[in-house]
Amino acid sequence: MAMIRTTDGPEGIRLHVQRLAPPDGRPPTTTAVLLHGLLTDSLASYYFTVAPALAAAGTDVVMYDHRGHGRSERPYSSYALADFVTDLERLLDRLEITSPVHLVGNCFGGTVAFEYAVRHPERVAGVCLIESNPATESWAKDIADIFRRLVGELVEHEAEALAWVSAHEGDHTARLARSAARLVRTTSIARDIPASRVLSEEQVRSVRCPVLAVYGRESELAGQAWRLASLLPGTRSVFLPGQGHSVLAEAPGLVLGLLLSSIGEPGGTPPVPVAADGDAR
Amino acid sequence: MTISGQTPAVSVVDARTVLADIARMLRAVLDEYGLDDIEITMETRFTEDLELESIDLVTLAGSLEAHYGRQVNFAAFVADLELDEIIGLTVGRLVEHVVRCLNAERN
Repeated sequence: MAMIRTTDGPEGIRLHVQRLAPPDGRPPTTTAVLLHGLLTDSLASYYFTVAPALAAAGTDVVMYDHRGHGRSERPYSSYALADFVTDLERLLDRLEITSPVHLVGNCFGGTVAFEYAVRHPERVAGVCLIESNPATESWAKDIADIFRRLVGELVEHEAEALAWVSAHEGDHTARLARSAARLVRTTSIARDIPASRVLSEEQVRSVRCPVLAVYGRESELAGQAWRLASLLPGTRSVFLPGQGHSVLAEAPGLVLGLLLSSIGEPGGTPPVPVAADGDAR
Repeated sequence: MTISGQTPAVSVVDARTVLADIARMLRAVLDEYGLDDIEITMETRFTEDLELESIDLVTLAGSLEAHYGRQVNFAAFVADLELDEIIGLTVGRLVEHVVRCLNAERN
């Protein structure tokens, strides 16, 4: 697919969209919208991992690059969480997708997905969060810390920081870091995202659709899984052993299996009780 | 099939033709970065040599499908690779994949 303008008005933005249909012209059983993470991420993280298999399993798969990311338009401003959620709303309207969709979000993409489910419960069949949190007070604090570090260490000392990353993490990671620094330097994203309005506990509790939360057991976010589980006791929390934050890239097969179990069943997966150590039964 | 109108009726699609096709598609992507005179061989690596980001490979996947039709499923091919293999992916490996897909289609 191609570039799609979210609305005709001046507030519209051109987003890069890719859509994979089930093979052989089979009609899809459901639609899944896959939302990627911040800064170094793009729809490629899904396109080259779980998306082909989701489509092969009969799902109409919609992927897009968030504003400022990948091949989508990069305006200077308007990077609050609400702007990303509005992009999703308008894009689904543009694509004339009216039946409830499954939302899959990696990291910040899951934060966008969850907020959309709060805004539009009637349009969401299920939410799958991969290494992700809803936009609560603690999320806002964490993301503000991340951006403060990023601006302080990477953007303000870019040449030295990139040389260090290149020496210690390799050229590939350095290239990703350079593109992240460019986004932070040329837009207001580092100010806008931490200043986003957050959800109240009541709003988080209001979500009625099935919620799957996948974590790498070794990631920092795994230690915060209890926050969501305590607000939404029906959340199916799954912890993948030996995995960190990059679980979608590192263990796509495991993530795919979980997504299929969640998306494949009509009405989503029933809530699964979570053991004390966090393993889904 | 889109292929029948574009390719001469030979029994086997040869790697040299496919390499030329893919090199042309890659130059279109690289052109956007102002890089227009890079040599592309079977050994050229997408990430290390061409500095393509994964989103550029999505664009390449679209070009491949537009040219060869859906039997060349680059997304599924890459999805079967390990992360390290994707980072080290060469043009030659993609050429082999395309040749295999096209010849399978004919048999």
